[in-house]
Amino acid sequence: MLRDITLGQYYPGESPIHKLDPRTKILGTLLYLISLFIVKSFAGFAVALLLLGMSIKISGVPLKFMLKGLKTIFMIALFTFVLNVFMTPGTVLWRWGFLRVTEEGLYNAVFMVVRLGLLIVGSSLLTLATKPLQLTDGMETLLRPLQRFGVPAHEIAMMMSIALRFIPTLMEETDKIMKAQMARGADFESGNLLQRAKSLIPLLVPLFISAFRIAVDLAMAMESRCYRGGENRTRLHPMSFHAGDGVAAVILGIYLLILVGLRFIM
Amino acid sequence: MSYTIKDDIIQIDHLLFQYQQEETKETVTAVDDVSFSLKRGSFTAIIGRNGSGKSTLAKNLNALLLPSGGAVYVNGYDTKEKDHLWEIRQSAGMVFQNPDNQLVSSIVEDDVAFGPENLGIEPEEIRRRVDEALHKVNMYQHRKRAPHHLSGGQKQRIAIAGVMAMRPECIILDEPTAMLDPKGRAQVMEIVRQLHADGITVVLITHFMDEAAQADRIIIMDQGKAVLDGTPKEVFRHGEKIRDLYLDVPFAVEMARQLRKAGMNVPDDIIENEELTEYLCSSEAALSAEDDGESAASGETSASGTAPGADAKTVSDATPDAAVLAGDTVLEVKNLRHVFSPGSPFESVALSDVSFALSKNSFTALIGHTGSGKSTLIQHLNGLLKPTAGSVWIEGADIAGGEVKLRDIRRKVGLVFQYPEYQLFEETVLKDVCYGPLNLGMSQEEAEEKARRAIELVGLDFEEIKDRSPFALSGGQKRRVAIAGVIAMEPQVLILDEPTAGLDPKSHKDILSMVETIKNEGNVTILLVSHNMGDVARLADRVLVMDGGRLWMNGTPRQVFSRESELLEIGLGLPPAAEFLRQLAKNGAPVATQALTISEAVTAITQWKRGESQC
Repeated sequence: MLRDITLGQYYPGESPIHKLDPRTKILGTLLYLISLFIVKSFAGFAVALLLLGMSIKISGVPLKFMLKGLKTIFMIALFTFVLNVFMTPGTVLWRWGFLRVTEEGLYNAVFMVVRLGLLIVGSSLLTLATKPLQLTDGMETLLRPLQRFGVPAHEIAMMMSIALRFIPTLMEETDKIMKAQMARGADFESGNLLQRAKSLIPLLVPLFISAFRIAVDLAMAMESRCYRGGENRTRLHPMSFHAGDGVAAVILGIYLLILVGLRFIM
Repeated sequence: MSYTIKDDIIQIDHLLFQYQQEETKETVTAVDDVSFSLKRGSFTAIIGRNGSGKSTLAKNLNALLLPSGGAVYVNGYDTKEKDHLWEIRQSAGMVFQNPDNQLVSSIVEDDVAFGPENLGIEPEEIRRRVDEALHKVNMYQHRKRAPHHLSGGQKQRIAIAGVMAMRPECIILDEPTAMLDPKGRAQVMEIVRQLHADGITVVLITHFMDEAAQADRIIIMDQGKAVLDGTPKEVFRHGEKIRDLYLDVPFAVEMARQLRKAGMNVPDDIIENEELTEYLCSSEAALSAEDDGESAASGETSASGTAPGADAKTVSDATPDAAVLAGDTVLEVKNLRHVFSPGSPFESVALSDVSFALSKNSFTALIGHTGSGKSTLIQHLNGLLKPTAGSVWIEGADIAGGEVKLRDIRRKVGLVFQYPEYQLFEETVLKDVCYGPLNLGMSQEEAEEKARRAIELVGLDFEEIKDRSPFALSGGQKRRVAIAGVIAMEPQVLILDEPTAGLDPKSHKDILSMVETIKNEGNVTILLVSHNMGDVARLADRVLVMDGGRLWMNGTPRQVFSRESELLEIGLGLPPAAEFLRQLAKNGAPVATQALTISEAVTAITQWKRGESQC
């Protein structure tokens, strides 16, 4: 049913990874993603894979959930693979008509796909092991220094958390309006593109009106609960670094050192 | 300027609130010279029909709106003084009507923390307050859940907790129960009473007179003015005046009035069922000597213009059961079963083995608590959902079988969802009502002709309204237009899912009499989903009761409502008149309890009293 769809894909748990401060996780993930681009050898990927595997194991999130993210990029991965295999010049291994596979091509293809896979699974771990609200809180704090350059850190975070809250509500609303119009003989499925686009008007107009009504009501409710922007706001769950965050930082540091070392050696 | 009287938390001094209407640029006076003050710890109910200014008044009480004239003081602070805005909002918290649109966070406890966070309170203290507030509304065990997984009543309790976590002295609730089912409504009222008992000042705006009767003061608003103000006893004594304002009175007040008309000496300050029961069981209650009861009950009521509906019942009840059964079947459901997400971990059986038939031109009510499968069931009746097993027959054709075109099914079975006004989308009323007929493939002229008929059938003036924007209409009018949009397709069966939800007493009555008109003049078979047992008893000649996805019972209102204790077990109640008679019987009165409506109850009580005087 529609109401079971939620943004993000949090997998509830009490693991040390879950308990890390969201800021540590966001920055850590960012560094990890960057690190994948300094890797130039499969040995480097082995190290990256080891770290990721370890983190996944600790997080207790089943591998199945991790790999879900890969499914969505399967087509992109395939495309990257094919492109690399056939388009890289070098020592020809196999040829058929105008198609040829080179040694370098094969190497590049595997390399790119491994990198893509690690990128996706790495960032999935962040969203799987961090509550969406903690993520927005973490983002808010990390963006805060940019406030003086005009980046509305608090507002961005508030918008994200309101979106998280109301996406299921609007989904339900869409479902209701759709059914109501179908009961009046609406047909959302047949016809050419133009007809189909037109048939969406009876759905979109009431949906927009609903969204505005929600916005007006919510703004009023927030005001009456003394909301006045991010200044002087305190938090029920204040963010604080713990020993775990220190350990995570040390591990990440060692990991980066190894990667940099590997680049010089190999 | 400050103004303090220690005993009063809120003072309203000649409050005037005006705004400019967008369409016509006219100045509208929503609140017109209202003055009163609220004592600390008091429980005040504000009632009035839609547009009477009560919501606007409420929003003036915590500076969400500022007076155009006069002044409002909260704890001695003038709401116009910007410096004290946060103190005012913190000490007079507000809960709104729509449970969905006032929760900010996707986790319950974070939502409750929202207010204290805004006030800059220390985290440990926020934690304490959040836990305390959640315990107070009995929602602590749900603190980690997401609001969209909660029921309306639970969401409303979270909203109350969110206000309580700011430690206000006063809580203003703007129709908090209007969008809830009876269970949710009872839960919220329970919390409200508890808050009052804890010393919080409560202001409750409501359309439900039985809720208002629980307050220790009632203010009735009409056209921006406070027209009545006093204790419930004082206010409800003005029954006629209240009816003139298109409002209701609590059940006991109406019952007492009808008994007086039938010649009984019932005092006019009775407002609660318990009081009336007690009084009737005492020796004081008697029929006046010269009166034989019966003639008074029939004669006098019609003369004094009773509120529509109070006496109308006997008509539908007179329909003999056999006649209903003998009528031609227009729609039949056989062994219907529906499973959501079969094979997944979310698999749930929504309907199992439901069978019934609707006979032509009958008026059937569908009752059952929220989640009993009512809405899943009605969506099968016009093909919006496909049965997992079983079949739905309309005029001898199985609509799930695939031979019948969906368009033909929708022409035959009209479905009006809850809050149908949310589906309006066109620029003009006429265009909106024509949408259905045009989808069915009718020509423009034909569609407009059907639209005209439909708009007139729902009781609106076609010429006056056809070119107006549906969004500029009043709430009740919007709903009529939306219903007209379905009727214009000229269905043989019309299903209405709680068509009166969220309306004030006047619009509630109007919509129901409109449904009766549609049935009688349009020759339409009606299936009405309702939580209001009084309406069901009065209008339906057949009742379907759903529980846990099964059809628990299918019978006449009298058969269904004779099974009181079983109905209670599945979360349903009795019509107020039936419940009252049972209460009387429980207190030892030898009174017949099968009556379902007020007029029948009057007959039962006068018969009992006459029997008593003869012994």
